[in-house]
Amino acid sequence: MTYMGQRFIKTWLKDWWEIFCHELRQIFSDGGVLLIFLVAGLAYPLLYNVVYLNGVLSDTPIAVVDDAACPDSRRFIREIDATREVEVVARCVNMAEAEKLMRERKVRGIVYFPRDFGEKLARMETAKLSVYADMSSFLYYKNALMATNFVMLHEIGQIQMERYSLAGMTEQEASQVVKPLGYEDNNPYNRAFNYSFFLISAILMIIIQQTLFYGMSLLVGTQRERNHSFASLPDKLEGHGMVRVVLGRGGAYWLLYLGIGMYIAFIVPAIFGIPQRGQFGDILAMLIFFITDCVFFSMTWSTLITRRESVFLLFLAMSPICLFLTGCSWPTVAFPGFWKVFSYIFPSTFGVQGYINLSTAGGDISAAGTQMRAMILQTIIYFGAACACIFAENWVIRHKEEIRERREALARKAGIDKAEDARIISGE
Amino acid sequence: MNNWQRILSVARRELRIIRNRPLYFMGSIGVIAFCAIFYLTFLDKGLPDNIPIGIVDEDYSSTSRNFCQQLDATQLGKVVHYDSYAAAREDMTSGKIAAVCVIPEGMNEDIQASRQPKITFYVNGLYFVNGALAWKDLLTMVNLTNGAVQRQVLRARGYNDARIMGMIRPIDIDTHQIGNVTTNYNYYLSGVLLPGTLEMIIILVLIYSLGAELKFGTSRHLMNTSGHSIVTALAGKLLVWTLVFAAIGFVIIMLLYHWLHFPLAGSIFNMFIAMFLLVISSEAVAIFILEMLPVPRLALSIGALYSVLGLSLSGFTLPLEAMPPYIQGLAAAFPLRHYYLFHVQEVVFGAGFAGWWKEVIWMLVFLFVPLTGLIRLKNAYIHQNYPKE
Repeated sequence: MTYMGQRFIKTWLKDWWEIFCHELRQIFSDGGVLLIFLVAGLAYPLLYNVVYLNGVLSDTPIAVVDDAACPDSRRFIREIDATREVEVVARCVNMAEAEKLMRERKVRGIVYFPRDFGEKLARMETAKLSVYADMSSFLYYKNALMATNFVMLHEIGQIQMERYSLAGMTEQEASQVVKPLGYEDNNPYNRAFNYSFFLISAILMIIIQQTLFYGMSLLVGTQRERNHSFASLPDKLEGHGMVRVVLGRGGAYWLLYLGIGMYIAFIVPAIFGIPQRGQFGDILAMLIFFITDCVFFSMTWSTLITRRESVFLLFLAMSPICLFLTGCSWPTVAFPGFWKVFSYIFPSTFGVQGYINLSTAGGDISAAGTQMRAMILQTIIYFGAACACIFAENWVIRHKEEIRERREALARKAGIDKAEDARIISGE
Repeated sequence: MNNWQRILSVARRELRIIRNRPLYFMGSIGVIAFCAIFYLTFLDKGLPDNIPIGIVDEDYSSTSRNFCQQLDATQLGKVVHYDSYAAAREDMTSGKIAAVCVIPEGMNEDIQASRQPKITFYVNGLYFVNGALAWKDLLTMVNLTNGAVQRQVLRARGYNDARIMGMIRPIDIDTHQIGNVTTNYNYYLSGVLLPGTLEMIIILVLIYSLGAELKFGTSRHLMNTSGHSIVTALAGKLLVWTLVFAAIGFVIIMLLYHWLHFPLAGSIFNMFIAMFLLVISSEAVAIFILEMLPVPRLALSIGALYSVLGLSLSGFTLPLEAMPPYIQGLAAAFPLRHYYLFHVQEVVFGAGFAGWWKEVIWMLVFLFVPLTGLIRLKNAYIHQNYPKE
């Protein structure tokens, strides 16, 4: 290697180290940033786990109106009551009474047996019962529907056996006709459709991305307010050396978030019993890709933040939107085309899916292959974008006066009198 | 100058501030417009359809092909064929398909010979809506196939179709979804998420607006303008912001229940009342946070943590009764929780005043909370003795 090359590497490393240390000092000397990184990053995952601790809604209260009052309807009611999903808390004499209970929100559903329920069964016709569900939360509806459907399927089997034996079949024959095709259903990753397993896994990854973005934006805004810039390069470089600024600053956040990320991805689920079925090495590899991606993502987008506080005003509402865009509640196949493309902007779209596939479902590394490739691509693009942002920022710094004049001219054109405004606002 | 004139001059001053900083416009109207467009177009379909379900057909008979075609023809499902279970399972784990259904070899023969073969299916319940709907679809298809086979057997025995129906389906359930007949996720989620976003915006923007006086050191001039009365100063600022937020809120209500025809059992005027109460109670929370912590950057961080939590604790997705008891009590401290309960009474049941009067009282109680810290805020405004950033 030539002497020049060695010198270049030496200064490069020295610059990098300086920027890296400077950024770490910045982070740890700013209370607001620490509040976001440490309180939000460390405590929020715990809080959300407590909120969604029991993700299964059991024993939804329902009312029963039994106009049939026959042995069949009574047996049906007993069986509904015995399911995990619902609990019969009221037996009403008529629908009006049950409706009143539902409006008072003492019950979340009504099961109604019409007068002819028993008669129809005796006449070997189809007997109908009605289920009314409160749709204010879909989990009430799901519970009412699942409980009555399970009991119905069970009852149908029994009644059919009776009817077929009446028609002159032996028990063996009847059972073969009743159930010519059996089924076995498995829900291997989430046996009881637990609400918290998928939501917590998603929220954990979103917390990593969002806290990193908010914290970094706070710092960028602060430095701009103090008339420094996040992009201030060593002056001797005269606008070169964007890569070492990006890598130096990025390295500081990366190191910090490797710790926070491992806490969120490994320790928090262990505390609360969220399934961790994956291989440690696989998940760690995915996590490192995700965090690297998040760092460059945040560096790119935080360039938009000109004042310290503006990040919350502008981007806090993006957090629930990111959650939707991961596709773990509303399925990706049902995304409208535009929003599907839009979701590729965020590392969380792939990070959440990767984490769920690897850690919660326990797939091997290939189960997150698509997501890893997408994150690598994102990292490359955002790295380039972050460099470009530093370049643009430097340009802006060098042309500050010009830009200020332009803006004032624009304000004059729009009829805004800055001096008058200043007098009214701050009395100067 | 009398007090009314002072209020007006504070309000005029606030309008100048808003014109000077585009952040206010972007943070309120810009954000809510983006969120409204997002939620309403994202969930436009109401219910997902064509969910990919993987099928491993080891039988390849007319019955199994028929099963696949029928499943494919349902609105919910779309069949993806696999040659091996291993490949299908891998795609399910990686979330590409919602479920795997294995049709065993010799199923057709076994059915004909009454050997009761078994179809096995696996569902990925981690992609929640996807998994639950695929599971429902598969269950329906298996039961329908069972019915079809039974019908053939019974026809061969000489039963007429009316009797066969009674044999195959002795009991039927007639489901009524109160307040959302089509199980539409858009009606369900957007109806609360948009007001929730508005609550978030109100808390953040108002904390920023009140905190900016401290941050930029303009608070003494504000007190001069208001004649050294903190009540007048707040009244002037709130006059502007209440009008802005209430206007946004009313547009949201109009958008949801009038222009987009979301189902509404009660009256849209009562929803205006609910929205107005949400606006003023959220404003009260914002003022309270800044009073207790007159450091704009910390107050904003706290406001952000509070308002994000509010979405979960309103209990409109996972109901509150499934949460731990101490969290259930905490939920009362969020205006959105009371808006949601009001919304249920009015939108789902159309119960009117008798249904939601308690929520009105709850939301009005929030208005008394900021009174506790007025003196503290006044001192902070006059002495500016807190860190500015």
